[in-house]
Amino acid sequence: MVVAQQQKSGAFQVLVGKIDDVLQYAIGDPMRYLANWGRLYSLWPVHLETACCSVEIGAAAGSRFDMERFGALEAFGSLRQCDLLIVMGTVTRKLAPRLKLVYDQMAEPKWVIAMGACSITGGLYFDSYNVLRGIDDIIPVDVYVPGCPPRAEAFLQGLVLLQEKIRRAPSLSGR
Amino acid sequence: MTLEAEYSPDADRIMSVSLGPQHPGAGHFRIKLWLDGDYVVRSEPDAGYVHRGEEKMSEYRNYIQNVPHLERPVILDSSNILFAYALGVDELMNNKVPQRAQYLRVIMSEANRIISHMYFLAIQGLFLGHTTMITWCMGDRDFWIDLAERIGGARVTFAYIIPGGVRNDIPPSAIEKGLNTCDWFDKRMDEYEKIFFRNPMVHQRSDGIGVLSREDAIAYGATGTVARASGVSVDVRKDEPYSAYEDFEFKTPVMTQGDVYARAYVALLDMRESVKIIRQALKKLPQGPVRLKLGPQPRVPAGEVYSRTEAARGEMSYYIISDGSPRPYRLKIGVPSAKNLRVLPLLLRNVHVADIPPIYWGLNYWPVEADR
Repeated sequence: MVVAQQQKSGAFQVLVGKIDDVLQYAIGDPMRYLANWGRLYSLWPVHLETACCSVEIGAAAGSRFDMERFGALEAFGSLRQCDLLIVMGTVTRKLAPRLKLVYDQMAEPKWVIAMGACSITGGLYFDSYNVLRGIDDIIPVDVYVPGCPPRAEAFLQGLVLLQEKIRRAPSLSGR
Repeated sequence: MTLEAEYSPDADRIMSVSLGPQHPGAGHFRIKLWLDGDYVVRSEPDAGYVHRGEEKMSEYRNYIQNVPHLERPVILDSSNILFAYALGVDELMNNKVPQRAQYLRVIMSEANRIISHMYFLAIQGLFLGHTTMITWCMGDRDFWIDLAERIGGARVTFAYIIPGGVRNDIPPSAIEKGLNTCDWFDKRMDEYEKIFFRNPMVHQRSDGIGVLSREDAIAYGATGTVARASGVSVDVRKDEPYSAYEDFEFKTPVMTQGDVYARAYVALLDMRESVKIIRQALKKLPQGPVRLKLGPQPRVPAGEVYSRTEAARGEMSYYIISDGSPRPYRLKIGVPSAKNLRVLPLLLRNVHVADIPPIYWGLNYWPVEADR
């Protein structure tokens, strides 16, 4: 009985949360809510592999974890159509200008996920002569996913967090 | 006026194109291409986007601290790169590694070979326009990762093979699970042959594409699946048996066509042999300890050592110089990707632009590994 009651109250809280969301975001500013709702379920990540975390992206896009069910599908077209940049690990001095170039070419609104310890602080390679200690100096980051490499589940959680951030974006432009 | 003077119809036909580093067909790697219409005239690989200074870093970490960062370059095949390192350090320190640890090292490195080849076949299927292959291989690869996770405790970076043995013993449940996975995977590989390797579409796209002759494979020093697909029978496990590989029965698969198809098919045959080795090793796993007690900062006697193993992509080698301190004086990693990269400009000549991705990926080239 107790368990059943807890489940009911949990579901009730979720319902209240959803109604609260709708009241706060949808009725207050319907156009903004609609635009961001459209964006958050159709994220197109750029195919820019920077280091070894790309293996876990491969697993996340593969059959078991299936990134597509969260509304993100790796774009094999032009990066001009993309709105999500996943920095998959270590950024070296040679790659850093190219990373900035890729970010500048993407159309607004755009978001960045820093995946792995290397792209956050340098990680294992913090004392290497050729590795950047985090990508914050080059491009703005929205979501950090720690790990070396992060599991595919951890990356998917980062993706869901980013979707939550887009849902609550303060303006129509999505930022 | 100057423009007219410089104009020449022949020079105008050639167009130079940069492929990568942001390109679906070339991740963290760039190829400079010179095109004449749809044909590649000349190509020049531009590596070094993931150079992280592994060799220099090794000089200011001790032999145990070196374990985690040395397995990162070959993340798909992390056990085999550590295997060569552990063999080298064991030889320098005169470690008598227990027999059970030798068997566990073999099991883990063969499981890693399958994980690496599955990723290779998945992406090769994608580049050949065969979507079933990427979904199947990526899904089935996760079952091998489950097994390796049960033994090593992580999804891809296990740090399992260390100097002096292996990090921890195999749990009893993993032996049963391993045998079940082997039986299931044998049947699964038959299905791969049916849907991918006997598929007329795959044959049309990969037969006779990117042919590497036997002479060129030897002259350019190709290794691993690339050399074996061209008819060169190289396999460190057979040529210079290390660890417990003498105890197992397996063959070295060799094909003679030397094209993209043969390179993919050799990977499948490799996996069949790996399954055989894993099954034998799990069945006759000896009892005993799995690790020598080395202490937190083992001192290694002065000396030099060259050790090598057969990784999924080919021959993985280490050259370690020790001066008697707890840290290596110099540590050089010889990786198979760097050896196979020399072949790429040879293959990317007089081919269609559409054939670049299968040829490039057919070399099983992993830039993180080649750049170190």
